[in-house]
Amino acid sequence: MNWLILLPVVAVIVGLLFTRIGLLGWVAIVWVAVYTVASYAIIPPLPSSIVGLTMAIVTVSLLVYISTDESKLASVRDPLVRFMVDRKYQNYLIAVVATIPVLAAARVYIQMNQPIEPPAVGRTIHPAPPQEMSFKGKKIDLVNVENPYRALEQSDPQEFALHVEQGRRVYFENCVFCHGDRMDGEGIFAHGYEPRPANFADPTTIVMLQEGYLFWRIATGGPGLPAESGPWNSSMPAWDQFLSEQEIWEVILFLYDYTEQRPRAREHHE
Amino acid sequence: MQFFTSLLIFSLPLPLLLAASTVHAGEVTLGTDAQRAAGKENYQKYCAQCHGAEGDGSGIATPFFNPLPRDFTSATYKIRTTESGELPTDADLKNIILEGMPYTGMPGWPQFDDEELMELVFYIKTFAEDFADPDAIVAALEIPEAPPFSSESAESGKTVYEENKCMECHGLYGRGDGEKATTLTTDAGDPIRPADLTKRWTFRGGPTREDIYRTFTTGMDGTPMPSYADFIEEEARWQLVDYVYSLSRETANYSDVIFARAVEEEIDLDSPEIVALFGDEAAFIPVVGQVIEAEREFFPSANAIGVRVIYNDDTVAMLLNWHDMAAEDSGTASPIKGDIQTTSDAVAVQLPSEPSHGQTRPYFLHGDSQNSVNLWFADLANELSNDGARLFIGKGSQNVMAVEGSEGVIEAVSSFADGEWTVIFKRDRASDNALVFEEGQFLPIAFSVWDGFHQEQGNRRGITSWVNMYIAPRETQSFIGPMLRVGLLVLLIEVLLIAWVRRKYKRTPG
Repeated sequence: MNWLILLPVVAVIVGLLFTRIGLLGWVAIVWVAVYTVASYAIIPPLPSSIVGLTMAIVTVSLLVYISTDESKLASVRDPLVRFMVDRKYQNYLIAVVATIPVLAAARVYIQMNQPIEPPAVGRTIHPAPPQEMSFKGKKIDLVNVENPYRALEQSDPQEFALHVEQGRRVYFENCVFCHGDRMDGEGIFAHGYEPRPANFADPTTIVMLQEGYLFWRIATGGPGLPAESGPWNSSMPAWDQFLSEQEIWEVILFLYDYTEQRPRAREHHE
Repeated sequence: MQFFTSLLIFSLPLPLLLAASTVHAGEVTLGTDAQRAAGKENYQKYCAQCHGAEGDGSGIATPFFNPLPRDFTSATYKIRTTESGELPTDADLKNIILEGMPYTGMPGWPQFDDEELMELVFYIKTFAEDFADPDAIVAALEIPEAPPFSSESAESGKTVYEENKCMECHGLYGRGDGEKATTLTTDAGDPIRPADLTKRWTFRGGPTREDIYRTFTTGMDGTPMPSYADFIEEEARWQLVDYVYSLSRETANYSDVIFARAVEEEIDLDSPEIVALFGDEAAFIPVVGQVIEAEREFFPSANAIGVRVIYNDDTVAMLLNWHDMAAEDSGTASPIKGDIQTTSDAVAVQLPSEPSHGQTRPYFLHGDSQNSVNLWFADLANELSNDGARLFIGKGSQNVMAVEGSEGVIEAVSSFADGEWTVIFKRDRASDNALVFEEGQFLPIAFSVWDGFHQEQGNRRGITSWVNMYIAPRETQSFIGPMLRVGLLVLLIEVLLIAWVRRKYKRTPG
């Protein structure tokens, strides 16, 4: 929300309650107010198609409201008609008639002078995983798989710490160049890859995912992504060519340990 | 000159001696046990993987980084505000942890507050006894505020640069290509590259003119970069700063779109005007190591490539530039994994073999089995116009093949001067088995650079991601017509509306 825009708009609407303003003015102000909020006050910005849809609904609603009875219709129609017919408004009318085509032409100019942008590419960042995958010939059931070392956290913390330490070694021999020392996706090579490497320190990445999902993404990498995720652009290696199953589970332990986060629990179906 | 060189060599230890005799004992700050313990905890979690659990610079990731992580037991530090050979101040150490060093394995650590930084500094100082010796502690030099930049000063700085033989390591235009560049080592004997002075965003000690002044003044201990405090007067040092500043751009300003520009002229690679035909503006694309498939390259020499593309009725041509310490123009090169003994420098342009279907592209590392790529490959050791430039088809890194009978399909010329390769490729816009370079079209394009000095071949290379190349249409659409059409249409609607309203309500009292 951009409060600097929203609050003045709300103030104007509230102010309308205390002012005697013709219905035409009221309709115009409400329309402009909704447009301003929809276009500028909401962060992240709404797509222009949504703004267009909203404004169409608002326009129709206002028209319906105006035409509910003859006196309302007249109070909107009459000032407009007077403006177009009455001689005393003639100079203003000419100014308005001249300005609108100029604005329309200016809009065309702006649209035609947009900097050239490459076609936008939609990308699913966390695609749905398959039910099962094959790791070096071994079937792994991704629906039910658990990190085999996770239970040690409770039962044998010392043994668990050893596996985390192994994961640290895996990370700093393989992952750090892209995902970085702070795990923020700002490694030494990160700026050269598009899409940029994932930021694990961000609370919306690995926290939202189960460990089995991470295993799938690490083991199969970019080439293992479905088409909607743009496998041809991803610089994530298929780690099954470099790492063992144990090393992948260990580096997953380390990702959560280092960023002080917890994996998303598996949902248990009764 | 001979005299000057010997003066330089014999007087290098001089600042050390002078410093030892003139310093006054400084204040030893080692912190409390609790502070060092807190520092140790953060160190072991965040720093030990590179700097080693014992602080000796040998951590898990050490073999993969160059420059190497600092060995804290040596008490030798590159970036300081103290005289050559002296220990850094606490503020120096804090600053480097906070800011990091660009284009090295050392990131900045903004998550640490001042207290945590101080604790880390206290812990790091436990690795070297010198920090406990009051006689070894010195105060920071005062770095004066930089006088305003002037081009006259930069011009004078060029003379200072040449007199002090900066180009022996950094090269005449500062591209890190001096005659000694490939032989430099740290005091510990590890290879080290001289800074590319044209890329200010990669300066380890920071990009400001004060930072550059500080580096000349203090030197970079442990590296071949000496202190010039005793050789260059302050005024001349600022002139040198301005010269280095004038050689460099402030930011990389990497592009994600390359504009292919239409030209009327014939594109003739043998013409002396050919380079000028490409104009001045290059798209600057980051180059990083290929660390995705086997035979990984952790130390690519190139970190960026400049690209300019032009086309006319029947030809498309690309001019590629990148910096290299030296040209390896003997031996051979190949995009296919092999065991070439003497490797030469090489470069490849990668394009999809066919126009893409929807958003689908070939895999960015030399394509895949479904979607192949064309590689315009130039082995820079060969006479390019004969067979040095060749067309390869890639269906994955393990499946790259030279196209039989493709000699002459790709033409190229190359030259190496003052630390910069210039390679120009040319091919027909429309030919069999090729992408048609249609106007107004976006095409994915990627690049690979092989450095012969590092025995790069096959997968071991510098790479780019796919970037977009836009074939800018020859005729730019005029906007006057559409503007007039829209304006007049709106005016017509207005006039009709008013005429209708007036006719209908003429007799209605106003």
